[in-house]
Amino acid sequence: MADPFDSALTPRWGRTYSDLLRRLNPKHITKNLNALIGLVPDLTEDLLSSVDQPLQIARCKKSGRDYLLCDYNRDGDSYRSPWSNEFDPPLSDGTLPSEKIRKIEVLANEAFDIYRELYYEGGVSSVYFWNLDDGFAGVVLLKKSTTATSKNTGSWDSIHVFEAIDRGRTAHYKLTSTVILNMENTTDAIGTMDLSGNMTRQVESDLSVVDDNSHISNIGRLVEDMELKMRNLLQEVYFGKAKDVVNDLRSVTNLTDVNRDRAAHSHVMSSMLTR
Amino acid sequence: MSAISTASSFIENAPPGELSEVIKDIESLLEHSPRGGFADAVAAYNKQQYVTTKLPGSSGLVIVSSYNEIEEGRFFDSESSTSFAFNHTTQKASDVQSYSIEGEHASTVKSLVQAVGNHVKEHFPSLPAHGVYPTDDGIAILIVGNKYSPSNYWNGRWRSTYIYNPSASTLTGTIAVDVHYYEDGNVRLVTEKAVSENLRSSTSAGIVTTIASVEKKYQEELNRAFGALSEGAFKSLRRQLPVTRQKMDWDKAAAYKLGQDIGGAGKSR
Repeated sequence: MADPFDSALTPRWGRTYSDLLRRLNPKHITKNLNALIGLVPDLTEDLLSSVDQPLQIARCKKSGRDYLLCDYNRDGDSYRSPWSNEFDPPLSDGTLPSEKIRKIEVLANEAFDIYRELYYEGGVSSVYFWNLDDGFAGVVLLKKSTTATSKNTGSWDSIHVFEAIDRGRTAHYKLTSTVILNMENTTDAIGTMDLSGNMTRQVESDLSVVDDNSHISNIGRLVEDMELKMRNLLQEVYFGKAKDVVNDLRSVTNLTDVNRDRAAHSHVMSSMLTR
Repeated sequence: MSAISTASSFIENAPPGELSEVIKDIESLLEHSPRGGFADAVAAYNKQQYVTTKLPGSSGLVIVSSYNEIEEGRFFDSESSTSFAFNHTTQKASDVQSYSIEGEHASTVKSLVQAVGNHVKEHFPSLPAHGVYPTDDGIAILIVGNKYSPSNYWNGRWRSTYIYNPSASTLTGTIAVDVHYYEDGNVRLVTEKAVSENLRSSTSAGIVTTIASVEKKYQEELNRAFGALSEGAFKSLRRQLPVTRQKMDWDKAAAYKLGQDIGGAGKSR
């Protein structure tokens, strides 16, 4: 038997489970993740901290506002509300960001609440920060679902994890963004059509820092640019690439006609060239 | 959930053309557990996905499914009137023997194989296969087309399943499409459409005409549905730009806190 604490095993397993999760139907990511944890319990913490799943919503008992749950605001079985800074269920010794970092976190939550309204016109946002030795790190979460009354439904989850490393008058930002986009179309003519998945992108940048507010602007712009880029990418893959593959699998036009047209076209081209 | 049933559920989830990678991953994770216990899941997957194989000495592809399974691991092909052994793990066929279809539907099967073959030639450009098999309640017609492009991180499969019922003169079944795209992500399209048609003509040509028209209509609807999702659900989830058509003014958001009139970058400038 292998020693479960043999750290040399983790990288190999890490590649294996990420390869597996990149192949299995992303629509069932939470189910697959739990199954994987059941299969290899030693991977529990690794998996929960590295695999993005659709975000759950909770209501802050103190402020009455909704917030998002993820591994970054979890401590044991409790989750910290970004609005009250309190854990639910309450924890006497839950891990909190330092006072200075919490101050920026409060501002970031307000700023991204405005961002959410501008771009999502609904949904829920939450920002969580934590201290690092040489700076701080955080996660910006955004979630929006379309109403389930329509037959054309969907949900969008953004998970932006970043590090801001202090370098005097600048900070080095490293952003890893994942968008989980699930959509479903059910009609008599179409039957069921499920288009689900996730895409991840990374960016690094050195940006100037005048005061604590600079971090809000810097992170804000990085996230805004990244989401614009990812939205275009998702549009291309979901509605362009996937559709192209369907039409590569089956040709609406008779292939004899397609080939005849192609031959005629190349005949015209070659006679033009040799004229 | 036992390790075997977990592994089996992963196999059931495998995208077109990626079964061997999924099995490799599972075997690596289960290194210290008993192996091979999911052979049943692999066999079920192959039959459900209409996995194709080449018969020794032949160039065309034949289908493996529950509709043409004679006994465990042995299948028949109507077109070549042969049966073959199929190894579910290697997906290779061997031990080809002659096999003739008997019973009341034998001649209909023969003529349908040709007619469906012509339809498949006209509409399935990539790795197509088809099969026509007698069943308890009629004749099963299967069509599959695969396109694998792992170097570009995508794979796809189209599966049509029809049951022709001669006494009711109906054609019922499903059309299913499965597309996987996995470059820096994991995106999956899974569709399924039920088919239920009353046949106007029960000749082989008539049946294939109905199949062709059902598939064409479905493919056109599906093409439209991409547009509908893009213009519908996708747009209402997240705007490309705020209503003001300008990006957010983050300096303002940072300077004034607590949601004053910051929405609409620069509009008060």
